[in-house]
Parts: sequence; structure tokens; C-alpha cells
Amino acid sequence: MEKLSKEEVLHVARLARISISDENTLEKYQYQLKELLDNIDKIKEVKGYDEELMFSPVDHQASLQEDVPGEMLSFQEVKKNTPHMKGNFVEVPVMINE
Amino acid sequence: MSNYLDLSIQEINNLLKKKEITPVDLVEECFRRIESNEDLNAFITLNKEQALEEAKALADVEVDNLLFGLPIAVKDNIVTKDLRTTCASKMLENFVPIYDATVVEKIKAKHMIIVGKANMDEFAMGSTSQTSYFGSPRNPWNKNCIAGGSSGGSAAIVAARLTPFALGSDTGGSIRQPASYCGLVGMKPTYGRVSRYGLVAFASSLDQIGPMTRNVYENALLLNAISGHDDKDLTSSYNQVEDYTRLIGKEIKGMKIAVPNYFMSDIVDSEIQDKVREVIECLKQNGATVDYIDIDYVENAVTLYQIIAMGEASSNLARFDGVRFGYSAPDAQNVEELYLKTRETGFGDEVKRRIMVGSYLLSGENAVTYYNKALSIRDDMRKSFRKAFQTYDLIIGPTTTTVAYSLGQDLDDPMKSFMDDVLVIPVNMAGLPGMNIPIGMNQDHMPIGLHIIGNQFEEAKMYQLASFLEKELNLDLDRKERS
Repeated sequence: MEKLSKEEVLHVARLARISISDENTLEKYQYQLKELLDNIDKIKEVKGYDEELMFSPVDHQASLQEDVPGEMLSFQEVKKNTPHMKGNFVEVPVMINE
Repeated sequence: MSNYLDLSIQEINNLLKKKEITPVDLVEECFRRIESNEDLNAFITLNKEQALEEAKALADVEVDNLLFGLPIAVKDNIVTKDLRTTCASKMLENFVPIYDATVVEKIKAKHMIIVGKANMDEFAMGSTSQTSYFGSPRNPWNKNCIAGGSSGGSAAIVAARLTPFALGSDTGGSIRQPASYCGLVGMKPTYGRVSRYGLVAFASSLDQIGPMTRNVYENALLLNAISGHDDKDLTSSYNQVEDYTRLIGKEIKGMKIAVPNYFMSDIVDSEIQDKVREVIECLKQNGATVDYIDIDYVENAVTLYQIIAMGEASSNLARFDGVRFGYSAPDAQNVEELYLKTRETGFGDEVKRRIMVGSYLLSGENAVTYYNKALSIRDDMRKSFRKAFQTYDLIIGPTTTTVAYSLGQDLDDPMKSFMDDVLVIPVNMAGLPGMNIPIGMNQDHMPIGLHIIGNQFEEAKMYQLASFLEKELNLDLDRKERS
């Protein structure tokens, strides 16, 4: 059975911002991603009617809201599901190491 | 022990109006059923205390509609204010929304009572509900079998008559396929018919919320309740909502029906083909014409779906970064590591596979080679459907290629979850409405479903055909186990 190289899987995982720290999982993905991508490749052989693209199934004009201020969420609500808070700030690890 | 929830909703409504029963009776009965069927693992979160409180508060409210006071289950990717919404993922295990989805506001406005959040495939990605972080729901017809997916919990709940109503969502068959496997009525409305505001996005150009019910009339009634334009959803249609029950019970004489050849090809089990042929004969005997036709590109639908759904999913799920909400990996040394570890641990295998492939498909030149090509073929497929609807009222075929199969089967096959939905995916591609109705059982007494496809915004016509067959076939679909 064909498979992707480890480097190829790690490249794809990197694009998706997902780390793969387990060797067995990496090997499993080598086969599974290959199978999915092989099937997807079949699209290249399909001949279409024309070049028109369908971005959305709706024909109507996009429904846009009036640009007027609405009700605000309270700060308590906004931070309710935030995993790490420090005072009134969302806490994240160091972003710049300089 | 009372069994009011076995009555038709008109009968329940009369009892409520005459004050012979109260919504509290219905909610208490519903929880008795839920608690004696815990082995189905159909719910992720129950809402007992709040549901009983809401039911009590309805005591002095006028019974003003047929859905009044009735219990409903909501798929766990539809946000509910102050009620945990997990998308069946570790990523959102502790997520408590701060607002209601539009559909939730709408069912609450009808005074329906949400009794819990239904189990599903993680982020609606899968065809068996086995990718749920909270374990698989089971099929009430055979508890060793899958309930289907991704709305497997919603399907199991209605099939076991724990509630008469559930909401599901359908990106590539996720309402219709589990409805087929569990023997119930499931409708994926026209794209844009029901607001997606508050539905956690998987593939935005395909997702649609819809009703899952024990019969056709109740399905149309719930669609009436949840349909309509919504300013909060960019893709919401301005098309006027009609009464979707209006053609129920009308004769089908003169109706023109098409069956795509591919839907009856050897990819479908012979027992299912036979059952669909019986239905076709029945329709002909009752004055409908049925022709076999070709719809172009339906055989490419799975490939199209993989490209479009995985591409859109990779973009939609980029928001899960461990910073603002949801799971956050501990001990990350920098923000990049936080993203990588959060997403490695917070997402399950199926979700990660799809995000990885989706990210690859949208990167650099691939976006043109794969994504744009898929959008072009998608447009061609829609044109082919449109051409068919110039001649025919409805399209029918089987909903699934097999009946529900054993839990645990082919778990490591990455293509399996897509191939299960091969017959239902084209409908999402073209933005059309599609529904499942049960049409019988196979020799192992597992449900077989018929897929009815309508032209855009022609749900009423689909209910007309569905109600005719429901009456004609008169199946006993009650899987209740009463304590």
C-alpha cells in the first residue's frame, strides 16, 4: 500500500497548525492522507461544461445588516469561556522572544 | 405510567388546551424515557432542571400553537445560551454559549422545551457518530449498530421516542443518512431556508439545520417553526416562508418523478433497491410517472465534497487556537506551541485528518488545481439538477447504500465515512432540499429509507409525496421500550 513520506505528513500538519508527537499516529496518517489525496486527485480527470465557479448555493443578494450599533455583550459574558485570564486581559504565552 | 408522548401532537395539544395535562407531565415523562434508555448514549448534556422550570412557567400561558410545551432535543453543534454546547469534542468540552442560535430562539418562541443536547460526530465530521469524544450513540433498532451520523444522537432519540422532535444539521447527509438508518423522517431544507446563525460552522456553503421527527406532518410543522429570513446570516434567503403542511394528504396523480440511474446502480444493496422499486411501482399505480434519468457528475460528488467540505472546514476550525475559548494545552512555551499542542490534543483523529487535507488543498497553487476545479464541477452539477427539474417535480432514490452496520466496523478506513453518504452529498452540493422517509425493513429488521429531492424551496411538494407514501406503507416504526 502506498503512503506519503513522514516529511510530507509533517508539512501538511504544519500547514494546519497541528503537531504530531506520536510516531504511530504519524505512520497511520502516512497511509490515510495518501488514500484521501489519491481520491481527491481524481478531480483532475473530470471534464466540466464550462469554467463558471459556484461559490455559494444561494442566488439572492447577500443579506447584510444595517451598520448601526446594537446591544453590547457584557465583559463578564465575553470572558466566560476564555481559558486563561489575567485581570481584565486574555493571557497568552510569550509571542516575541527577542 | 402515562404515555402521552405516544399520542399525535394534535391529541397532546387538545389535552393541554383542556388542561387535562400540563407541560410538566410531558417533560417528566420525557425524562423517564431518557433515563430508562441511557444505554443509547444519545445525549451529551441533559437540561432537566431548566426544562422542568420552563415547563412549570408555561402553566399559565395560553396554548397557542401545536408545538406548545413539547420536548425537543437539539444537536450539540447548535449553540444554546447557558447550556453546554460541545460539538462532541474535547475542544469544547466545557464551552457554555452566551447566546442562542436563531433556530433555538424560534423553537423557544413556540414554547417548545429543550430537554438536552444530542450526541453527534465530532464537529459533525463523520457518518456514524463514532467520532464523538463522548462515545457513540447506539441504534435503537439494534444497539450493536451505528445510529448513523453525524446527527446520530438526534436520530436515536426520535427513533426510541425519547422526544417527538429533534434538530439536526446536514453538511453532506448528516440528517438524512441517520434518519434512514434509524427509521424516521429527516429533512435537509433548501440552503438558506433556515438560519445558520449559531450553528458551529463546518463547511459554510453546505451546512443546513433541519427537523428530525417520527412522522411527516410533524416534520413539516417543525420546519414551519424554524424557517425564515435572518439578518444575522449572510446566506439566509428572502424567499417567503409558506405553510409546509399545505400539500400533505393531497393526491399525487400526475406527479412527474425521476430516478437517477446512478442511485440504483450496483453500489446499492439489492434489498434496498428492491424496496425502492416497490415504491416506484406504487407511485405508478397511483398515477405518477416515474422515469430513469442521468444527472451529470453525481458519481464525482464524494470527491467534490471532500475538496469543498475539507477546505472550508480547515478555514472554519482555524478559530480553535486555545486562546479565546475552548481547550487550551497547558505548559506551552510560546504561542505557536500553544496552537500546535491545543489542536493536537483538542481535536480527534477524523477532525485532524480533514483539517490537514483541507489546509493542503487550499495552500498555494492547490487552491486553483483542486478547490476552483471543484467549484466549477459543482456549478455544472447544479445545472444538471436544474435541467432535470424543468421536466420533473421530484427526484427519488435510496438514501443509503446499506442499512445501519455494526459499531466499530471500518473505523480506520478514511474513505468509509464519505462513501456512506455517496447518495446524499449531491443535494448539499446543489443547495437543494432533500429528505428521508422510512419505506420498510430489511430481512434483519433494520430500517430502509427513501430519499426525496426537491427543487429549491419546494419542500411542500416533497412533504406531499412523503405523506402519500407514509399513509400507503403504514409502517410500524415505534421502537419504544416502556418501563
